Amino acid sequence: MARRRFAALLMLPAIIFLVATVAYPLGTLLFNSFFNVKLLTPNRRTWVGFDDFVNTLTSPEVGTAALKTLQYSAFAMTLELVLGFGAALLFYAMRDRSAWARTIFIFPLLVPPIVAGLLWKFLLSLDTGMVNRVIDLLGLTPAGGQINWLGNVDTVIFTVSFADIWLTTSFVALVAYAGLQGLPADVLEAAEVDGAGYWQRVWHVILPLLRPVIAVIVIIRGVDVAKTFDLIFIQTEGGPQGASEVLSMEIYRTMIRYGNVGSASATAAVFLLVMAFFAALAYRVIWKPAND
Amino acid sequence: MRLKIGTAVLAASLALAGCSASATASAPASSGSAAAGQTIRILAEGGGVGLQKGIAEQFTKDTGIKVEFVEVPYADVHDKLAADISTGAGSYDLATIDVIWMTEFGPTLANLDDVMTPEVTADLPAALVADAKFEDHFIGMPQWANAEILFYRTDLFSDAKEQKAFKAEFGYDLVPPTNWQQYRDVAKFFNRPKDKLYGTAVKGAVETEWLAYVLQAGSPSVVLDSSGGVIIDDANHVKALEEYIAPYCTDKVGPDPATTDWAAAQNLFYQGQSAMMLFWAHAYRMTPDDSKVNGKVGVAPMIAGPGGIAAIPGPWYNVVPNDSPHPDLAKQYITYAYDHNVMGIDAPLGLAARTSAYEQFQDKAGYEAFKPLLTTLNAPATTGRPMNVHWQQITDEVLTPSVQKALTCKVSPQDVLTEAKSKIEAILKQ
Repeated sequence: MARRRFAALLMLPAIIFLVATVAYPLGTLLFNSFFNVKLLTPNRRTWVGFDDFVNTLTSPEVGTAALKTLQYSAFAMTLELVLGFGAALLFYAMRDRSAWARTIFIFPLLVPPIVAGLLWKFLLSLDTGMVNRVIDLLGLTPAGGQINWLGNVDTVIFTVSFADIWLTTSFVALVAYAGLQGLPADVLEAAEVDGAGYWQRVWHVILPLLRPVIAVIVIIRGVDVAKTFDLIFIQTEGGPQGASEVLSMEIYRTMIRYGNVGSASATAAVFLLVMAFFAALAYRVIWKPAND
Repeated sequence: MRLKIGTAVLAASLALAGCSASATASAPASSGSAAAGQTIRILAEGGGVGLQKGIAEQFTKDTGIKVEFVEVPYADVHDKLAADISTGAGSYDLATIDVIWMTEFGPTLANLDDVMTPEVTADLPAALVADAKFEDHFIGMPQWANAEILFYRTDLFSDAKEQKAFKAEFGYDLVPPTNWQQYRDVAKFFNRPKDKLYGTAVKGAVETEWLAYVLQAGSPSVVLDSSGGVIIDDANHVKALEEYIAPYCTDKVGPDPATTDWAAAQNLFYQGQSAMMLFWAHAYRMTPDDSKVNGKVGVAPMIAGPGGIAAIPGPWYNVVPNDSPHPDLAKQYITYAYDHNVMGIDAPLGLAARTSAYEQFQDKAGYEAFKPLLTTLNAPATTGRPMNVHWQQITDEVLTPSVQKALTCKVSPQDVLTEAKSKIEAILKQ
């Protein structure tokens, strides 16, 4: 018993820190979600129970933003995983010769997201952007004219993710590379001796062994990409016509620009629950089978 | 054991959160002491700091009261002021805020009727005085005013070949356009995408310019009438939207407007890729030295519609939060800033609020934008946005998307605005 008390005492500073920086803001968010409360008058609040939750789940704006978030996340995550693992496999094959390549590859990771968003906003600009200029020089401009990367309502939710993919594929590559380096060499050699081709080794040996690494990447990057705000906001502010307005932007507008704290808190609480669900799912589907 | 600890922590956090909601409300605001040697803190964005720095330095010399600016980016002015007011922290003695936030912050700002005397308001454009009011009293003193005017390429307009060709095509002289039809004609004439020149750039990412068209059409107000009724689908609004999208949808002028915001239009003009632009007057003195159009920019008043010249003004106001630590000193500064308002013209943004300040400079070289600006600001049809608490939401969720939808050229302006009306009515019911 004395040991348990001592252990609890040692944990106390960390618990206090977590309560102050995580649990308290979270508790405030959940508390506010049951009230009609405005930003400028937080002391004046009316109990509304689950009304704001019902409004969140039935709101067309929230529904559209949720769909946009899903589209953005799925597209960005897929490309980041494919490109990141591809780069990691390449670095692994190059062994020590990959040192310079890896160093250059992580440069985008050092760029602040706001700067990355601005950079890609200019690159993808319809008339003055470098991307369309290069496409034009290569003679690949479509018959209908230059590509309106950030102005097409059907595709903007995917094109705004280019900045995200450019920024964080190197993170995926680095984590995957670290995982690859930890793989048991004898297992890979055995597979090679048994006649397995390169892609067979990747699919049947390497990827299964990397399940915990993949789970970490999917959970961390998945949550990160789902709550992206600055990258998209700086490029399109959620336009045109709300076609790139993701859930984080909807919550920001509702709380800060419209002053609806209660409503925004309810939406954020639902978002949190959905994220927790997906994280748990990723753990159960990807990580856990590797440990069974 | 772990579950018990976790439950206790969660319960404690929720209890703390509930307590803090009422604890914040009862925290008293700090009281100020009015004496020279004190410091007042002003929340402002970069341009606002630049415009007031000289005034503040002179204020300190004359009164001994120090001025400390808290300089933040544009959106942070709103967010920081909102956070400060909601927590009752009382961090700022006054703030310089955009007119679009006046209604939202109205109930939390001090009454300035004693500062905004008839003598003061007589030297301010009527639209700025109207926007300074919340309910039946003044809450802000305009620090600077701005409005869109017409910018055009003097090299193109004065070229003899261009003048001859324009007259041959349209039957009248090539001059800076003064009305809708002339604006479209000139834009069509100079629209040469193969030569990387557009007649103008229609802005689809912002709503303000279309609202100016609404006033130019003859509407007394925009979107909402004086009693708060939704009028966005009336004949004036529809006509204004038809005219606004016509250069792009009918005349095929300009780049795709979906992503054309203020910065994009300004950039296009500075790169020499547009012959005209409608833009905020302060930009006249901000043409980059290395710009292709440096020295080739002319200005004229905002164009007119059937209702005359009109624009949506963009003033910024000095306001005093109710929990300002030194409200009397803040008002003293506001009065001083008004008296020395002309000093703002020497700042990089080069703006003021007082008509007399602009009149002092309007005939001087380098200040050619002031006459068109005053003409536009003082036009009878120039009116501010409705003072409605939901205005930001109406702008973000309805007005800007509606302009963008109309500029797809696939939906009629009437249909766009009919849909907009029902959305606005839903917002107003919240």
